[in-house]
This record gives sequence, structure tokens and C-alpha cells, in this order.
Amino acid sequence: MEIIQLSWVQLAIGFIILIIPGSILWWYNTGLNKKMVVATIRMTLQLLFVGYYLEYLFEYDNTWLNLAWIMVMVVVADFATIDRSDLKTSRSLVLPIFWATFLGIVLINVFFLELVIQLPKFLEAQYAIPITGMVLGNCLRSNVIGINDFYYNLKENNERYRFYLASGATRREALYPFFQRALQKSANPTLAAMATIGLVSLPGMMTGQILSGSSPLTAIQYQIMIMLAIFSGTILSVFLAILFCNRAVFFDNDMLDESIFKE
Amino acid sequence: MLLQARHVDFSYGSETIFDDFSFGVERGERVVLKGESGGGKTTLMRLLLGFETPDNGTLEFEGSPLEGSNLKEFRRKCAWLPQDLNIGTGTVDEVIQFPFTFKKSGNQSPDNEKIINILSDLGLDNDILQKDFADLSTGQRQRTGIALCILLDKPVLLLDEPTSALDEASKEKAADHIFSDQDRTILSTSHDPFWIDKCDRIIDLDSETKDAS
Repeated sequence: MEIIQLSWVQLAIGFIILIIPGSILWWYNTGLNKKMVVATIRMTLQLLFVGYYLEYLFEYDNTWLNLAWIMVMVVVADFATIDRSDLKTSRSLVLPIFWATFLGIVLINVFFLELVIQLPKFLEAQYAIPITGMVLGNCLRSNVIGINDFYYNLKENNERYRFYLASGATRREALYPFFQRALQKSANPTLAAMATIGLVSLPGMMTGQILSGSSPLTAIQYQIMIMLAIFSGTILSVFLAILFCNRAVFFDNDMLDESIFKE
Repeated sequence: MLLQARHVDFSYGSETIFDDFSFGVERGERVVLKGESGGGKTTLMRLLLGFETPDNGTLEFEGSPLEGSNLKEFRRKCAWLPQDLNIGTGTVDEVIQFPFTFKKSGNQSPDNEKIINILSDLGLDNDILQKDFADLSTGQRQRTGIALCILLDKPVLLLDEPTSALDEASKEKAADHIFSDQDRTILSTSHDPFWIDKCDRIIDLDSETKDAS
């Protein structure tokens, strides 16, 4: 089974379908048409750029180059996490979130790529880049949910945190319920996705593999592995991100530095 | 002196709360703070607990500044009843049990019978333990908070308006529990003559701050 190669003209024809959603959005005066055009252009250009870049990356397949690209993805994910959260971009958050995401990714990559798949070459581009990208994309989403929930819940229920401190809790003990809720909130979307996968949705990676000629059985094996990687990676990175940020955002008296919040 | 404030200045933005304020509480003393609302009664407790930092001056516990390890030691030795009774999540039982999981706090987990007796003295039925804390009325929350302060059995109590939601009978019972230990130091705020009468000393923050300025 060989995949049908798309020509640029065929791809261009694909864009015609946008007339339908564009018309609906325009008819209901949603104000989203401009946004739709910008988002479509961005999506196309970004993917074109990555496509050409990955061609180059796959051709050279150099471990250091692959590692460098993974670092770039982690840095972008780091800033995107803070940008999408309602917190200020500050040194006290950027570095901890970077290290949390990086450590989470390293652990997941080493485990799945080297121990489970047992790549013949360390960080082989064909496997390392797409799998890192998928795990990272999910870590980003979970980190945004987890970090936002943790700090805004703490801000909102400051009195409860203080009550625990005043009852002799260490900072870690007093933060326990806030950690608990942030983990619940950030784990729920992935758990829900795992519970319905295959029944409601066919995931992108599996679809891609089937389209490019893999047998459905191989595709689901990889999909199961990637779901395990995503779930473990997201929980680990949310946990580490909050843990590392907490080292930087509390004063000696255990009070939260509220300058991390946007006004 | 067990607790002491020396020449404390504190303001919220442009509003001065304390200007060169000093006071002290001896071990075993029962002190009630009086004053208009916004006069600094609650703020004083927050300053002692290290939730706010004075602009100038020092706060001390057992002769050492209330900071670092001494602040933590003070928090381990006290129980605080705040005015905002958002003190936990889950069932009332979970809210009561949670502070007893703090390892270094020295909090001794109470047995069920003791919990039920104290709740009953404060006019709460024991089926309240299974209710969600968030669903309780303000009065029920305050009673739960007082019950928790009693159960924590600490040498220092900081109580913000402890009797404001209690009826006469529960007030008597609450006071019996709270004042039973002669060595216990109590710093409280109250407008209630019943409570004020139980205390050894009244500090009028209005006159204190006026005197100072």
C-alpha cells in the first residue's frame, strides 16, 4: 500500500472547502472571518516551514541536531505555556517550566524510544521528533491548565492556605489540596481522551500511519504507546512545573508573590 | 513576654493601620482586642502569623523575631480562627481531619467520640460530619472552626470574633473548652460582652493608635 502523493494543486483545491465554514461564520456575523484567514495562513506557513525543516532533519539525522530541535520545541512550549496561562512572563516561571518540561520529555523519550522501541540510533529523527512533538503538545496544554488552576485556586482560596499554615502545616502540606486539584484538572482531558479513543475518534498519529501504508495493527501499537507517553509525560511535567515554580514564587513567610498574576 | 510588638508601622496602600504600635501578651494571658472595624484587629493577627510584613518595627514570639524558623515554631504552637471561614474542602469530617495530617505540627489526631462531643457542645449534630463543608451556613462553619481550634489543643489561640455566630448555650460550652487550660494564651477580637468578660485584659486599638500618633 503506497500513499497517494498529493500535488500542490490538489492541496490548493482542499482550501476551497473553507467557503462553507467561512460563509456560516460571516452570515452569523461572528467576526471570526479575519481570524479564520490569519489562522489558516499561519497553519499553512508553519507546517510548510516545519515540513521542509524536517525533510532536512531526517536527511542528516544527526543526534545533536535532533537534540537541538527538541530543545527549540521545549523553549517554544515553555513560553507558549506562560503566554496562554493568565500569569506574567517572569524569570521565576520561565526557567522552572522549562526544566519541568525538559525533564519530563527526556524521561519519556529515554523510556519509550530507547527502552521500549529500542532505536538502533540514539534519538533517531523519524521517531524522536514526531513523538516528542506529540507529547510536548499535550504537556503544553496540561501545564497551562494545571499551573493556572494551581495559582488562581491559591489566590482565590488564600485564606484556606493560610489557615493550614496557621495550624502548623509546612508549605508543602498546606499546598497539598491545591496540588491535588491542579493534577485532577490537568489529567482529566487526557483520561477522557483515553477512555473514548478508537470509539469516538481515530487519533491523528494512527490515521497518519494507516494512510502512509502501515498495517492498522502496527498503527494501534504505536497509538497505545503514544497515549501512555502522553499521559505519563503530562502528569510528570505538570507536577514538576508546579514543584519547580513553587521554589521561586513564595517569600520566606510562605506567602505567594502575587506579582506573578496579570492585573 | 510570649508575644510582643515593638514600634510597628503598617499601612495598606495609603491607609495607615499601625503607627508606632507596641504591645505584649504574657504566657497564659487572655487578651481581647477592641476597636472599630478596619482598626487593625484582624491585621494584628495576620502580622503575628507572618501573612503580612510590618513596614517598620518588630514582632516577637518568645523573645525572638517572628520570622524564619521562629515563625514556623509559632505557627506550630497556635491555632487560628479566621473571620473568613473558608477553611477547607470536602466533607466536614475531612476538613476537621486534614490539619491532623501535618507531620511536624504536633497535632494529635482526636478520636471520633471527642469530635462528636465537641460538635455537640457547640450545637452541631454528628451527621454534619458527612455534609459538604461548602454547603454549611456561616454559623455552622464558624462552629466547625471553633471545634477544630479546640481539637487542635494548642498553647496559643488567635480567635477572630469567636462568638459572633453562637447562641448563649454554645457560647458557655465553647468558653469552657477554650478557657479550661490555665496556661493557654488567648488573643482574640470580640464585640461580645460575654466573651470580653471572660478575658483578663482589653486592648483598645483605637486609643492605642491614637495615643501613638
